[in-house]
Amino acid sequence: MADLKTLKAREFLSMLPDRQERFNSAKAEFPTFSDNAAVLARALHPKRQYLKVAEVIERGEDCKSFVLVPDADKGTTALAYFGAGKYLTVFETIENMPVTRAYSISSSPKDALNGKYVLTIKLVEGGLVSRYILDTWTVGTSVEVSAPSGNFEYQPLRDAKKVICLAGGSGITPFLSMANAVADGDEDFEMTLLYGSRNADVILFREELDAVAAACDKVKIVHVLSDKGASKKLKGSESGFITAELIKKYAPADEEYSVFLCGPQQMYEFVDKELEKLNLPKKFIRHEMFGEFHNPSTQADYPAGVPETVKITVTIQDETTTVEGSSNDSVMQILEKNGISVPARCRSGECGFCHSHLLSGEIYVPAHLDYRRLADYKFGCIHPCCSFPLTDLVINVPVAK
Amino acid sequence: MSKQYDVIVIGAGNGGLAAAATCARAGLSTLLLERHNIPGGSASSFVRGRFEFEPSLHELAGVGSPDKSGQIEDMFGRFEANVEFCQHDSTFRLVVPAKEGDTDTFVNENGVEVVVDARMPVGFEAFARKLDELVPGSYESCKEAFRLSDRMFKAFDCLEDLSKLPGSLKDVPNLLRMISHTMKDSLDALGMPKKAQDIFNTYWCYLGSPASQLDFLYYLAMVHSYIKDGTGIPKLRSHEMSLGIDEVIRRHGGDIWYNSEVTKVIVKDGKPAGVVINGNKEVYAKYFVCNSYPYAVFKDLFDAKDIPEKQLKMLNARKTACSLTTVYLGMNKTKEELGIKDYSVFIAPDSDSDKQYEAAQNFGSGFCIINCLNEIIPDCTPEGTSQLFLTTMTFGDVMKDVKPEDYKKFKTEVARDMIETCEKALNISIMPYIEEIEIALPPTFARYLNTPFGTPYGYMLEKWDSMIPRTVQYLQDQPFDNFFFCGASQERGDGYGCAYYTGEKAGGLVVNAMKKEGK
Repeated sequence: MADLKTLKAREFLSMLPDRQERFNSAKAEFPTFSDNAAVLARALHPKRQYLKVAEVIERGEDCKSFVLVPDADKGTTALAYFGAGKYLTVFETIENMPVTRAYSISSSPKDALNGKYVLTIKLVEGGLVSRYILDTWTVGTSVEVSAPSGNFEYQPLRDAKKVICLAGGSGITPFLSMANAVADGDEDFEMTLLYGSRNADVILFREELDAVAAACDKVKIVHVLSDKGASKKLKGSESGFITAELIKKYAPADEEYSVFLCGPQQMYEFVDKELEKLNLPKKFIRHEMFGEFHNPSTQADYPAGVPETVKITVTIQDETTTVEGSSNDSVMQILEKNGISVPARCRSGECGFCHSHLLSGEIYVPAHLDYRRLADYKFGCIHPCCSFPLTDLVINVPVAK
Repeated sequence: MSKQYDVIVIGAGNGGLAAAATCARAGLSTLLLERHNIPGGSASSFVRGRFEFEPSLHELAGVGSPDKSGQIEDMFGRFEANVEFCQHDSTFRLVVPAKEGDTDTFVNENGVEVVVDARMPVGFEAFARKLDELVPGSYESCKEAFRLSDRMFKAFDCLEDLSKLPGSLKDVPNLLRMISHTMKDSLDALGMPKKAQDIFNTYWCYLGSPASQLDFLYYLAMVHSYIKDGTGIPKLRSHEMSLGIDEVIRRHGGDIWYNSEVTKVIVKDGKPAGVVINGNKEVYAKYFVCNSYPYAVFKDLFDAKDIPEKQLKMLNARKTACSLTTVYLGMNKTKEELGIKDYSVFIAPDSDSDKQYEAAQNFGSGFCIINCLNEIIPDCTPEGTSQLFLTTMTFGDVMKDVKPEDYKKFKTEVARDMIETCEKALNISIMPYIEEIEIALPPTFARYLNTPFGTPYGYMLEKWDSMIPRTVQYLQDQPFDNFFFCGASQERGDGYGCAYYTGEKAGGLVVNAMKKEGK
């Protein structure tokens, strides 16, 4: 039978010298070639973006929009493009305390191409960072942000062609961006926005929403006003809260539809129960994260007997420190309050950017924020942004770049 | 004063992890630096909704010898790493849908008109019988190829241990033939019918070079471990393997700093002496193992004057291997409901690997591998669901006309095309049941791996730059006598096992060098 003998074994002998000869005869200069994969990776995911405030727009009580433009002096000449729905993580230092917050971009993707992001920030009750930003950001203020991040986006291969968007309060921001992206032709779906506000006077972006709905027949806006009698003063608005009945009223009767939600924690608690009545497949319900979680002890599965203060011994690279904090704060908050910077992006458990090693001690993680990988449980890895200490802890945290 | 380590390992991909574990276990003071927040490079995972996906292929086959379980499990055993593997006992299914004008077609079990539909079993005898059933007259040549692969491993041993040489001497000429000839030339010499060769060569894309370019020895080595021993898959995705080795390094006193990107290599007296981390912190070491790609390392970390001339020439002489595009799908149906019966189906526009290679120069080639992890780990997704993993390959600057503002649409269309290719070839419905989707194109890989065109595969294993010459010349190809590369850019090209191997070897070189110095 046939075998390899017809092939010359001798050919092997020339292979080694030939290979070195190939190297020797090549050019001795740094290779240049076009590589748009690398160009796109850098353009879409810059490590940091250095911006400055170009304009501040008052949005009523304790709410402002900040128009941000590239700060060429610091090296940012163009803004990273993004899919409508993404957020930016803002890096700030407040009284020597490094902090971060994630804010959805309220401007359209097209605006980013024209050198403009808009972040709209509303005061969070007791919120340290929102207070600071509202008080101190003025025209000319330097602002450092991350690349656009997050997964709260329309995905044509996954989502239905018709989308019912449910917004509460400042949860409107990603939807304004989506509505404009639809109007600009950058996204292709039919959007019906049910937007919950107390009354017509406090509706955020009312004019902007009216304008985009008027300009684009794929965008429909319905205000849902909860103050008694408020809906009578606004034509076409609905009264009360976003209920299953209301969603049904605006959803297509005989077609699939997706539901996107963005709003405060209380809104999710209410609307999620309403959505259960509609029996939609899981794939058609998408939640934006609602930001930092507070007061873990309000959760039903939070254990009893947790000490009020805890000690955390943290190693970052070759430096180890022990700090003290309240067990009501997340590990991330405790470290930040002690002046220790932690890698952070979403601050909601989901993105995993703060992935760290828990070497000893016990933590509590609210189940709905637990987006750890399976192996993380096996090897004691945690996301400090949504881990609450139950005992003293020893942890190893990556350095914040 | 800045800290001085015995060894600094740059990059916690599989190679860097294995290198750091090897050094730490030998008692060297070891610092592993990684610019991302988790270890593993491609061997990692990410969560979307109620699904956890692997960025890279799940299936692992070490280039093991016939009487051992396989190189990867051996390594985890040596390391005493706490990682659990699930065994996989099928190989692949190749489906080549019929095109207009094709003759010799038939309708397969899915009701699709095809030219080839080959579902191949594990085990040499079973595989050869199945091949013969599909292409009569191929049994002997297939068995001979497997015999050669068995003997090759014995001869392989004598390359590492010369005392074994006399007994295996008669195998050496064949070994040399296999090293210096391609898959195609060798299978022709064995008289394997062309159609059988095409099925036999299905795994070519795992090494990224088609039958006319890849040497027979390396392909056989890979096929040997896939077909003889079957493969393993980490129970908790590859993140388990990476965290498992992370734990080994720490247990042995090694330091691992995440989010710590090497931004410069400090050169003193003509060789590396330390690194700058994140632009602001210096750390020094005697030895360096580098898991990052040579192109990125010399472009970003060294001053031009410090780059050895040979390294520049190597960068110019070698060809960047393929890039991958992957679609991760969390499905709200089980694999049974979807009608999926195989872990891995290779869907190809043509059965010939060189024609597949030509087609795969760009998107839309009709070449797509579809994997279903539930086939091996049934409970890897919640009840009533499953996950799919679609892969295609491209070569070179395929993103060249895509602007940032067009990227999302471009990406969606590439994924749509891949999903439709699978739907058509298997006559199944995927699109309506997608609960979660993530799409990774070359820019995604470029972002995480920092390689040209985002390649995870290193340099193409061309005939002149194949595995054995790379291995023999490894030391003379390194830039400095205290700086060793490991990972996919090195001897063995891509693959988890290959990266571990090169990392362990590079770590071993450092350990030996330190021993000689009296440590």
